[in-house]
Amino acid sequence: MIKVVAACGNGMGSSQIIKMKIAKVFKKLGIDASIDHMSVGEAKSAASGYDVVFCGASLVDNFSVKNNRTKIVGLVNLLSEAEIEAKIIENNIK
Amino acid sequence: MDLYTTINTASTVFANNILSKPEFFIGILVFIGYLLLGKPIYDAFGGFIKAAVGMMIWNVGAGGLVSTFRPILAGLNERFHLNAAVIDPYFGLNAASEAIKMIGMSLSWTMISLMVGFGWNILLVLLRRYTKLRTLFLTGHIMIQQATTCTWILFFAIPELRNFTGALWIGLLVGTYWAVFSNLTVEATEELTDNSGFAIGHQQMFWVWLTSKIAPKLGDPNKSVENVRMPKWLSMFNDNVISTGTLMLLFFGVIMAILGEPYMRGLDKVGFPAALAFPTYILGKSLSFAVYLFILISGVRMFVAELTESFRGISEKILPGALPAVDCAATYGFSSPNTVLFGFLFGCIGQFIAIAGLFIFKAPIMIITGFVPVFFDNATVAVFANKFGGVRAASILPFCTGIVQVLGGGFAAWYFELYKFGGWHGNIDWDTLWPVIGVIMKNFSTPGLILVIVLMLVIPQLQYRRSANKENYFKVEGSEF
Repeated sequence: MIKVVAACGNGMGSSQIIKMKIAKVFKKLGIDASIDHMSVGEAKSAASGYDVVFCGASLVDNFSVKNNRTKIVGLVNLLSEAEIEAKIIENNIK
Repeated sequence: MDLYTTINTASTVFANNILSKPEFFIGILVFIGYLLLGKPIYDAFGGFIKAAVGMMIWNVGAGGLVSTFRPILAGLNERFHLNAAVIDPYFGLNAASEAIKMIGMSLSWTMISLMVGFGWNILLVLLRRYTKLRTLFLTGHIMIQQATTCTWILFFAIPELRNFTGALWIGLLVGTYWAVFSNLTVEATEELTDNSGFAIGHQQMFWVWLTSKIAPKLGDPNKSVENVRMPKWLSMFNDNVISTGTLMLLFFGVIMAILGEPYMRGLDKVGFPAALAFPTYILGKSLSFAVYLFILISGVRMFVAELTESFRGISEKILPGALPAVDCAATYGFSSPNTVLFGFLFGCIGQFIAIAGLFIFKAPIMIITGFVPVFFDNATVAVFANKFGGVRAASILPFCTGIVQVLGGGFAAWYFELYKFGGWHGNIDWDTLWPVIGVIMKNFSTPGLILVIVLMLVIPQLQYRRSANKENYFKVEGSEF
């Protein structure tokens, strides 16, 4: 089981959308994941406890995690399952 | 006991224990929603608990905000005859729900309105051949905020409707706004996002449409904000904790400094003991606003997550393939990170100038900048303005939006009397469109309310008539109509 967090500005709207979309894609790919959602402010401090952080492309620069575990994935279209799937494969998340 | 007495007792028990306790009312709604979606009973139970606990956390945050605010509001009023309101949807949510409680109603009415509004939006899209509406508003936290503010506006404007009929009307009114104005953002959003298949379902839908019409006249879309270098420290304001904390410190720090140390000591005897220095007191007190705001937000987030899940499930069953109207931040990926901060910066400048103006011209109300409108509205305006009018439009329009947010928000907080609770919704549609709707309803009562709904429903008809390609009006990428 991997630990995933979806982050956005206030941790209300967009991160919830990302969460629902990535949950769908993970299910399709057969990857077992527990997903939380929160604001970038909170996720910055919590990121190192997660395997993957998903956020909007414009927010990627907020994260500077220095470990071998956490991957930061920026999305252009938060609603595109195709983009999410491609990025999961590209980043070798499983 | 005859049947009539039994029904009467049952309804009194329901009113006292469920309807006046919105945390249980919303919990039960989520529970029923999950069962209708065919989820197992333990999931439904979990949904009930999370919705109820979320709402109770919200109450804790709201209580903290109210008690932190009270001495400062009282002080401003007593010393300078000034009323103050933070223009932010969470402060607005807090103020509106306090006002609703004050007139002896409860937020359960708002929850009924929310359900009616959601259902009405679905119905309007089901009847799209006649209504020309294509979008389903699915942004849960915004729906809660807007339904609550709308509840207060209607209860305030038309006191005869402070009842179940009123709750139904509020649902129709806010549901019409959701369907009509999210539908109005379709074309601009499709162009911005290269047909990514969503529309905006947020707090600045009318303004997004207006921006997309005005921006081309202001500048050249090829001169993008992307090429402007922004100072690196600005990006720290992407963090909502830092932004909110800084804004609260700035505004409440100045207010408390003006009220003065002896005065604050007299006002807040418990929170300001003799051993505590004034700067420490100011720092602690200002940041408490951020603390309670985040408690409130985390509570809202918890129960909205449950609600959104049910909404999406229900809509996928009844109305598959509707174009989703989602959070405005979903557009930010289609512009450079620069643009978002650019909008925030110019919006801030606009708001600060307007606030100074209110002060100089001795307006009876003082506006305090809240994070959500100044950041998200102006970032969204900048993203659309940049797309259609380049860097020039992306600086002028957020600047103007900032000014309008303060002036419109100040008017609304005063007109709807929410300054008594120190907050107004504050997002740009709620500083322009909604005050107008409120004034119409206050002056023309129920006929005014009906007029507003009818006028809104005319908008998509005009939109359809003016669309260049009628055959493709319904064939938007992402919808399956």
